[in-house]
Amino acid sequence: MRALSRERKKELLAYCLIAPVIIYLIVFMLFPFIWALWTSVTNRTIGGNADFVGIDNFVTLVRDRVFRQSVWNTIVYTLFAVLGKVVLGMIMALVLNAQIPLKNLSRVLLFIPWTIPTLVSALTWRWMYSDVGGFFNYILMSLNIVNAPVPWLYDPKLAMVSIIVANIWRGAPFIAISLLAGLQSIPEDYYEAAQIDGANAIIRFLHITIPSIKDVLILSTLITTIWTFNDFEIVWLLTGGGPGNATQILSTYGYTVGFMNLNLSKAISSSMIAMPFLLILVTIITNRFKKSEVD
Amino acid sequence: MKKIKLSNVLITLLLLLLVIVSLLPVYWTLNTSFKVNSEIYNMKPSLWPKKPTVQSYIDLVVKRNFLPSLWNSFFVSFIVSVGSVAISAFAGYAFARLDFRGKQILSNSVLYSYLMPRSVLFIPLYMLVTTFGLRDNLMGLIVIYPTITIPYATWMLTSYFRTIPLAIEEAAEIDGCGRIRSMIQVVFPLAKPGLAATTIFAFTLCWSEYMYALVIITRSETRTITLALANMVVGDVFAWGPMMAGSIVATIPILLIYMISSKNMVSGLTVGAVK
Repeated sequence: MRALSRERKKELLAYCLIAPVIIYLIVFMLFPFIWALWTSVTNRTIGGNADFVGIDNFVTLVRDRVFRQSVWNTIVYTLFAVLGKVVLGMIMALVLNAQIPLKNLSRVLLFIPWTIPTLVSALTWRWMYSDVGGFFNYILMSLNIVNAPVPWLYDPKLAMVSIIVANIWRGAPFIAISLLAGLQSIPEDYYEAAQIDGANAIIRFLHITIPSIKDVLILSTLITTIWTFNDFEIVWLLTGGGPGNATQILSTYGYTVGFMNLNLSKAISSSMIAMPFLLILVTIITNRFKKSEVD
Repeated sequence: MKKIKLSNVLITLLLLLLVIVSLLPVYWTLNTSFKVNSEIYNMKPSLWPKKPTVQSYIDLVVKRNFLPSLWNSFFVSFIVSVGSVAISAFAGYAFARLDFRGKQILSNSVLYSYLMPRSVLFIPLYMLVTTFGLRDNLMGLIVIYPTITIPYATWMLTSYFRTIPLAIEEAAEIDGCGRIRSMIQVVFPLAKPGLAATTIFAFTLCWSEYMYALVIITRSETRTITLALANMVVGDVFAWGPMMAGSIVATIPILLIYMISSKNMVSGLTVGAVK
């Protein structure tokens, strides 16, 4: 038998090394995903049979007022939470990059919300918003700003604001960590040169800081958008989608339809509707990662 | 002496404000966990426990049977993180060091898997686990949690292996080491910090997981720590004391890990991108 060439051998070794990971991902991610695509065109329920029904599920969904509201809520929730996280994260990164006392300690403290399990932050915020013993109502009432507890999570309009605030608190440090790394790689003399040229702080920020961290800013914003769009814990544990579906987003809607109403195919269809949007985001992120690897 | 500039004072004040905003909810949790019930449910809550007590922690263990959940979470997270890193290390090495056909597509698919949200996969995975007869079984979690940790670990380790100089390996090869031997005896030992960090963070990902556990586990004996905590919300009466105590207990191991580890590790996914 002809001996394998060196290159061939190397390739064979590579396939052996990656096989366990790839096989696992095919069995536990690709197959379930294809199965989900198939289920979205059937009428499967938990414990029931499945018949092919074409796009019926999607038609039913579009006609469902609660579903339409969930789509809208998801957009509002994602948009404002991501915006808030980018702004707050940017401020955190700029402050941490400035000359401040106790730099390392400050960094650790500011990143604590990101390290805490999401579920714990959700419970903590629920307690902060509580009408009896909750921190916000206590402060507002003891300063005589309000006479009765504010229903942070029980007023339809306020509830959306409340869950967005909780989400921003938890997620901003991720943006900050990413941007801080970018900021630290900007050479100090760029700023010195600009200062000599008479550029003020705002001009320096717009013309030096932003262009230097543009890539990492876009990348971390896109990743955060995916995470926020699919957030479940914060919404589910703070409001459960209520009051009256005012904070129902796609993930809580999917869970409610699938596991409370036991309508699997409808639940899966609801998550599949967002797939094209998510795939576009993921593809952009992947390409950006590949680009930064080449650089 | 350096002149104190106004801008520095402003920045320090801003920093102070950010620290307060970041820590206040955490403090409120800690504060509540050491209060007696009458103090917790008072209309005018106190800023610190007037009569500090560990009653909530005792209730957590005695009345709410928290320890088994703690063990379940530890057990699942440990097996999944070590197992995932073990198989991801080989794949990461191949992606970082070897050339083969289909490499681009395969490494892209790892990234796609990492970014694939749980809210899309939770129903299919629930069905898969049910088919295997592993519902209400910690094994059910052990087989599906790698969908979170394997893509993460493979991605992280690929970029970590790239930082190890090629020359070291070439030297080993000249000394007559084969590829596999040089990988195991030269590269892996050099990558120890990266392997350790990835394992630790894979552990925290499993420890904090809630959505998959919610659909797969219903029996109280197989509950993980996140389920045990969320379970205290259900119903009209909120057990805030034990819930906040449990939150503290669930957070401490994670917090310790983050504080001990270096700053680079906190950044998780972006570490490879921003370097």
